[in-house]
Amino acid sequence: MREFRFERPGTVADAVRRPAPGTAFLAGGTTLVDLMKLEVMTPARVLDINRLPLRGIDQTRDGLRIGALERMRDVAAHDLVRRRYPMLAQALEASASGQLRNMASIGGNLLQRTRCGYFRDVSVPCNKRAPGSGCPAIEGENRMHAVLGASDACVATHPSDLAVALVALDATVRLRSRAGTRDVALRDFHLLPGTTPEREHDLRPGELVTDVIVPDLGWASRSVYVKIRDRQSYEFALASAAVAVRRDGDTIAEARVAVGGMGTRPWRLPAVEAALAGRPAAEASYTAAAEHATDGVRPLRHNAFKPALMRRTLVRALLELERIR
Amino acid sequence: MSVSPIGRETARVDGPLKVTGRAPYAADYHPDGLVHGHLVLATVGRGTLRAMDVTRAEAAPGVIAVYTPFQPVRLINTFQGFGAENYVPLQDTTVRFRGQIIGLVVAGTFEQARDAAALITADYAGTPPRTSLADAGPGRSQDIVQVLAPGVASIDDVLRAGPVTITTTVTQPAQHHVAMEPHATTATWEDDQLTVYSGAQMPQRSAPAIAAGLGIDPAKVRLICRYTGGGFGGRSPAWNEAKLCAAAARALGRPLKVVLSREQVFTTVGHRPAVRQTVRLAAQADGRLLALAHDSDAEYPAAGGWPLIPAQHTSGVLYRTPNLRLDQRLVTLDTPSTWAMRAPGEAPGSFALETALDELAARTGVDPVELRLRNYATQHPVEGRPFSSKHLDQCYRLGATRFGWDRRPARPRSRTDGDWLIGMGMSTAAYPTDREAATVRVRFHDNGRVSVASGTSDLGTGAWTVLAVAGADTLGLPVEVIVPELGDSALPPGGVGAVGSAVTANTMPAVRAAGRAAIGTLLRAAVENPRSPFHGLDPADVSYRQGRLHSGRRSMGFDELLRAIGTPALDAIGATDPAQDSPYAFHSFGAHFCEVRVHRLTAEIRVNRFTSVFDVGTVINARTARSQFIGGIIWGIGHALLEADPIEPDGRYAAATMADYLVPVNADIPDIDVHWLGYPDPHISESGARGLGELGTVASAAAVGNAVYNATGIRVHDLPITLDKLL
Amino acid sequence: MTESYGISRRELLGRSGTVAAVAATVPLAVADTAPARATTGEVGVRMTVNGSVTPLTVDPRETLLDVLRERLHLTGTKKGCDRGQCGACTVHVDGERVVSCLTLAATLGGSRVTTIEGLARGDRLHPLQQAFIDHDGFQCGFCTSGQIMSAAAVLADGRARTDDEVREQMSGNLCRCGAYPGIVAAIQQARKEAS
Repeated sequence: MREFRFERPGTVADAVRRPAPGTAFLAGGTTLVDLMKLEVMTPARVLDINRLPLRGIDQTRDGLRIGALERMRDVAAHDLVRRRYPMLAQALEASASGQLRNMASIGGNLLQRTRCGYFRDVSVPCNKRAPGSGCPAIEGENRMHAVLGASDACVATHPSDLAVALVALDATVRLRSRAGTRDVALRDFHLLPGTTPEREHDLRPGELVTDVIVPDLGWASRSVYVKIRDRQSYEFALASAAVAVRRDGDTIAEARVAVGGMGTRPWRLPAVEAALAGRPAAEASYTAAAEHATDGVRPLRHNAFKPALMRRTLVRALLELERIR
Repeated sequence: MSVSPIGRETARVDGPLKVTGRAPYAADYHPDGLVHGHLVLATVGRGTLRAMDVTRAEAAPGVIAVYTPFQPVRLINTFQGFGAENYVPLQDTTVRFRGQIIGLVVAGTFEQARDAAALITADYAGTPPRTSLADAGPGRSQDIVQVLAPGVASIDDVLRAGPVTITTTVTQPAQHHVAMEPHATTATWEDDQLTVYSGAQMPQRSAPAIAAGLGIDPAKVRLICRYTGGGFGGRSPAWNEAKLCAAAARALGRPLKVVLSREQVFTTVGHRPAVRQTVRLAAQADGRLLALAHDSDAEYPAAGGWPLIPAQHTSGVLYRTPNLRLDQRLVTLDTPSTWAMRAPGEAPGSFALETALDELAARTGVDPVELRLRNYATQHPVEGRPFSSKHLDQCYRLGATRFGWDRRPARPRSRTDGDWLIGMGMSTAAYPTDREAATVRVRFHDNGRVSVASGTSDLGTGAWTVLAVAGADTLGLPVEVIVPELGDSALPPGGVGAVGSAVTANTMPAVRAAGRAAIGTLLRAAVENPRSPFHGLDPADVSYRQGRLHSGRRSMGFDELLRAIGTPALDAIGATDPAQDSPYAFHSFGAHFCEVRVHRLTAEIRVNRFTSVFDVGTVINARTARSQFIGGIIWGIGHALLEADPIEPDGRYAAATMADYLVPVNADIPDIDVHWLGYPDPHISESGARGLGELGTVASAAAVGNAVYNATGIRVHDLPITLDKLL
Repeated sequence: MTESYGISRRELLGRSGTVAAVAATVPLAVADTAPARATTGEVGVRMTVNGSVTPLTVDPRETLLDVLRERLHLTGTKKGCDRGQCGACTVHVDGERVVSCLTLAATLGGSRVTTIEGLARGDRLHPLQQAFIDHDGFQCGFCTSGQIMSAAAVLADGRARTDDEVREQMSGNLCRCGAYPGIVAAIQQARKEAS
């Protein structure tokens, strides 16, 4: 860990006042402190924002507002979340461990860094950590890596479960900077690696995530998050699916579908949603629609199984949804 | 008459300290003036260090010293042969593997040492390391074991002839011990006397090994490891970090603590080598074996390490066959040192053999349990000696009943529960018990306590409690008055090393011998000491029973006697040295039964339940024995389904963290039904106990794999069996 | 003392107390009053550890885990990975289980920290500690402090009732000896005793 200056801004305005390079916001610390120890992140200045009033889970005109400093555990346990967006609660509860869910904030969860082993090891090249140094994952141990959205510079998977469910729900992040407040759709917030994998999100220097807004979607009360992994718990996803369906009798009227463990960012699947619409709610429809999930996949040496796993995970999630109520 | 605690449920005597956080482990000591060290590791796979830039580290706040090959602290390489790590760090500029120690930074605080270490840069002249077992050809043969029936010229002829032939090749990548406690050493010097706090399975071998590395008299080194956070083989030698810590502490004249980071543990203190194995079987149509050949090619590091011989105690022990050939080869690679890891050869070897047996069962249509009974060995297939006590057939039958083996679908992929495919598998475990010399001291104290001291170690195995149980049994006293002592090289020499599942079986007889000798000492003092009420009696007229001395109507507790004669304590050493030329072969046995479910769509494998029945002779403490069995089975589940560390062409381990190297979590583990038969071994010792600590780990992975086959119809030969291989 | 936002550290720290009082979901934070050491960058924190108010001046790099172990010599809390990957360092901060290895001590002004050393009342073992002994919920003992602190929080939370729920809730605490079945049994015993 590099030496750094520890500061505790008293207000949100203070926190964003001086967007000096090398500044990091510290919330739960489960990503930042970890990566500082590994010297993957080396901020010169750490702003402890934990006591800023970025809290609360409440209904607003725009939808459900979740303060960025709300802890994963509290969001997962919140009655509004559990009733109206079960997939959110499930995604949170499938993440990390009880201890880490007590610590990690919602804002931090969306900003967490990839678990790519090369990114986390400063003794090897990594374009995301050290731009231009190269990407050993492309030819290396890439079983966990992305098959969607990858580039020649980076194939790292986005690790958040929560973000997958939020993308399916068209959530928005509210950002605060010296210049003011703006809302960005989560779908656009995380960036594709392209040639600049070090740029992971549309966050300007010094800008702080203050809230997450989940628009109202009545039928999301029927939704699931299914996470597939080698170990039954305390592991990142090989594949995951967040699925919500509005049914009209035995027919699927509308669907929301996103997958995790597959993409370089949380991956919404509009083609699958379209393929489900108007179809009977049955396994054959799910299987057929899931074929569209893997349009454009680029498997690597060790993750060639992922497209098939993604399709099967989708089918399984849709079947599990069918069994609710 | 007090009831003997042997075989009963005795709570761990170290339990209260462990559940309150008061049991001190190696990194928990804080001698005055303590400073902190952090290692620097090589980041190339092979080559030579040309230079290291330590200027920024030396200038960093709090830094006291930086040691590298260019500014070393002296260590002596006392071992350059085969079978152990063959170098010591910082004495040359050679890089033998990626992750080798090339520096040590000492600073006032942990943070200062860690962060200064990160400022060091190294310049290497590298050469490509050899890292791939798959790309290497067959390795060097060790001793080839071969038994051929009369008239057979080559086992290959029999293996070709059949009528049924099976060839099974299985592979597994490197595995790691991942003991929960990272290796740590705290070293303090007082004049020329060194005290080392460091987890050790064999404290009485580690202490002199450290002394040799420092070039000092072994009598000047004391190693203390009363509480150690797991061993599993990975703490059987004294690794370089301990020697380096002690040497630097001496050079600095200050107590020093070096704790490995978790990542450093993966390359500096041993791992189970990657191995490729082929088992070939020839059998009659009814499954009776005609020939069994087991070949292996295991990674063996150029830097030295533990040679993996997986067939010796598996295929060389388990089944009756007229023709047998074991060829266990080693492939030299530029990898970190390998080391014995819980059931070192037996765990991988049994996976290969018991997978092949399951394939033979499937091919012949013979039930897997019946197949094993048809090939049952009553004598050691290689040595020809009868087994000292073998009731494995009862393990099979009892296990099958407890588990409900009769509900196993004979046809794979034919049973489901909702969206899950259900399958059952079984396997056989065997593990040898070495008979070793042992020394124990029993000491009566005038406060009514009796200490039982052994220079062995308790890695969590239960040795603390076994000493207490053995002492209580020998002396007819309650367990509570026995004070066990272990984990200290200064205890009487002859402590059984906590390796090879050998501590209990070999320490029990020594406790009895020491107990008898101590009673003799007590009786002698009773008749010889003028202040004793028994003074002047014929020794034959004084007896010891349950802590009291009796003669006629006179009776007094040993503590009363000691107080009467003004002696705080009396003790005696007991030593045992069993003959090595026994007519019997000593092995423990067991049968595993496993049920798994595999999701029909996404293919996650989950273990539903597990039943094992063991034949281990007398069990000394039921509670800790059960935990050893269960822990071993959980290792088997990890072995089968999770554990793998792929090595990359540059020598980098790709999964060298606790998040990437997956070991089972609580949610992976179902109820585990463990049972043992309880036949005392009449030949091993008067206690009748054989070893059991590693037995649960043997072949449990194969039971899982065989169950996965039964569930899915898919046989996975490259471990671990992950869902991608079943899609 | 370095300047930030044009105010001194003392003002900043003083203000943080005010802010914490505003954010209602944060436990009441006491303003940090421990004197800062002269060295630039050190931070005064005043936390309550096992019931004792503990003023400290910490290097901002210090984790709660290292402060407990190296500064306060409360070595019951163990460092298994230092990366949030094993759970051996689990303690309670303001009543909730956290991994102390990823918690910077500098952030804990006004917090209540409970470690394994503070779980029992006096000499009597906590029911969970006794249950871990009764069910042999450990072997080497290195993960045990973290397991017990984690289990205490799971019981206080009250939602995990079935064995499977307990297993899931306890999956952030690795045990390489494989004491999981004993751990589950111990927690269930303590839960039943408490109800």
